[in-house]
Amino acid sequence: MTKKDGDHITTGRRDVRPDAPAHVKGVKEGNACGNYDKQAGHLPDARSTAARSTGINAADRDPIDPDMPNLSPA
Amino acid sequence: MTIRSPQEQETRQLVEMSWDPITRIIGNLGIYTKIDFQNNQVVECKSTSSLFRGYSVFMKGKDPRDSHFITSRICGICGDNHAVCSIYAQNMAYGVKTPPLGEWIVNLGEAAEYMFDHTLFQDNLVFVDYCEQMVKETNPSLLRRAETTEAPRGDIHGYRTIADIMRAFNPFTGAVYREALQVSRLTREMCCLMEGRHVHPSTLYPGGVGTVATPQVFTDYLVRLLRTVDFIKRAVPMNDDVFDFFYEALPGYEEVGRRRVMLGCWGAFQDPGVVDYDYRTMNEWGRRMFVTPGIVLDGELRTTNLVDINLGIRILLGSSYYDDWQGEETFVTHDPLGNPVDQRHPWNQTTLPRPQKRDLDGGNYSWVMSPRWYDERTAGYLALDTGGGPLARLWATALAGLVDTGTVRSTGHSVQINLPKSAAFPDMQFEWQIPKWANTIERNRARMYFVAYAAAMAFYFVEQALGEVRAGLTKVFTDFEVPEEAIGAGFHEAVRGVLSHHLVIRKGKIANYHPYPPTPWNASPRDVYGTPGPYEDAVQGLPIFEENGPETFKGIDIMRTVRSFDPCLPCGVHMYLGGGKVLRQVHSPTLGTSVSG
Repeated sequence: MTKKDGDHITTGRRDVRPDAPAHVKGVKEGNACGNYDKQAGHLPDARSTAARSTGINAADRDPIDPDMPNLSPA
Repeated sequence: MTIRSPQEQETRQLVEMSWDPITRIIGNLGIYTKIDFQNNQVVECKSTSSLFRGYSVFMKGKDPRDSHFITSRICGICGDNHAVCSIYAQNMAYGVKTPPLGEWIVNLGEAAEYMFDHTLFQDNLVFVDYCEQMVKETNPSLLRRAETTEAPRGDIHGYRTIADIMRAFNPFTGAVYREALQVSRLTREMCCLMEGRHVHPSTLYPGGVGTVATPQVFTDYLVRLLRTVDFIKRAVPMNDDVFDFFYEALPGYEEVGRRRVMLGCWGAFQDPGVVDYDYRTMNEWGRRMFVTPGIVLDGELRTTNLVDINLGIRILLGSSYYDDWQGEETFVTHDPLGNPVDQRHPWNQTTLPRPQKRDLDGGNYSWVMSPRWYDERTAGYLALDTGGGPLARLWATALAGLVDTGTVRSTGHSVQINLPKSAAFPDMQFEWQIPKWANTIERNRARMYFVAYAAAMAFYFVEQALGEVRAGLTKVFTDFEVPEEAIGAGFHEAVRGVLSHHLVIRKGKIANYHPYPPTPWNASPRDVYGTPGPYEDAVQGLPIFEENGPETFKGIDIMRTVRSFDPCLPCGVHMYLGGGKVLRQVHSPTLGTSVSG
């Protein structure tokens, strides 16, 4: 390929927008603002309950002693 | 390759010798020297890179939320440092702060990365230059002396003589070499526990992490950390023995790779208690980082203020294959504190590549630009180096006297590192003292001390993280919106030194993005003012201690010097010696040390 003086690197014509594959507008994202607070089991003070891990009898999975930290699997 | 061509210059007989490629960075670093063999000295050195990456070109127009995933791919060994640095820059741009537990998880992952990478580099790559096989080929008399020199700290590491240690460094057969491979696996696992994957983390995001913080994950980390600590407790004294021996047995070896003390460190490990990623308070939270940012000039701490550090960065041209961007768009005229931002600052850089023929004789010869730090006091553009990373980090931290976690304490003249009891050893304290010189040996010595530093810090981070978990504070992520217009800067330490990411967002997309990793600083060519880059500076004037003459010259002292800067992974030296006689000396470890090279 020959280049004229004054040309920069020659590249092909792009056939996709640079930001095409990611973060498509209108698609719901897990990290959207307010999503964390909306989901069950997340308490406002940065703690969480078993409800963030399971929807089945979540309260039964919380610690038996309220003074214990609530550490659900995920 | 090396091309030899004698040149008469004044009264000196100079031989041109070149090593290209010398190291990784995808095998594209070349060192071109002129050597005076009669006086055993390197007279001139130029460092060149023949690869163009173009991250700053193709990041434009992309969604800023992708930038840590993309820029992580800059490096195949410290990609997580890039991801973290990009996240710091994004946090600033989005105005979001990671919850404390998330921040401890990032710190734990990065501590594991430092332990992993430094161990792998030191024991599997650097020490190949110091192993029995290599020393036998380059300095046989030194090896004879090593055979009869007792290792002063042999009671800790278990090797009786210095030569025994050198044998343990032999690639593939040496005990230290093999053990280091095991340790680098352990430390990589630690990184994966925190960051999901190594080298390109999958659970690090702006605003937090996706790692599920259970007591189990920290216990898994701690188990591996304690096993690593056993290795570190032997490695630090062993390293000291070898490096002290070089000073003792080769008087004048301190001049190898020595350059003026001009070290830069951009700081590592955020303190979640203070960091809010607001540029306006960057000085305060920067100084609370667990590795203090700073610029060390002639042994004095010039500044620890990240705002000063940021504003002083200048990207110069002079010997690089780019057009100047002085007349291009200015993205950031003033920083959020109202300080003017130079057109040569990364925020305002426009990369205009211009491929051309390499001209080592007064023309352009490298794809690396010349990052410099503008010192207002002297109005000079300083070619800072990173000392391979650890030297600058320990030096800045030691002088600043700001770090005190109990496990690590900075005294103003040294760094004390306390490691707890482990399976094979009782608790131990190491103290890294500020050395007299910034040279090849001290860059290498600092590396293993920093592994100890990172391990000691990791104990502190685990305690803090478990404190959060025990309080039930499981939140590790904060949500955020991407603003239409914003700027951000991330400052971090890649394993081999300073790392900055500068980001400009317009219309919700990246308008400008410039990562500046350590190797552009270290491997930079001569700038527009004629100032050589650190590799060039350190190799120029280097005395040669190798016993081989010009015909069988390996350039071991030059190799040790360039590798002391940790130019990512040194993989090979291909050498061609004059007059059509081609000698290929593969420097990378090959199976079986009985085979030459």
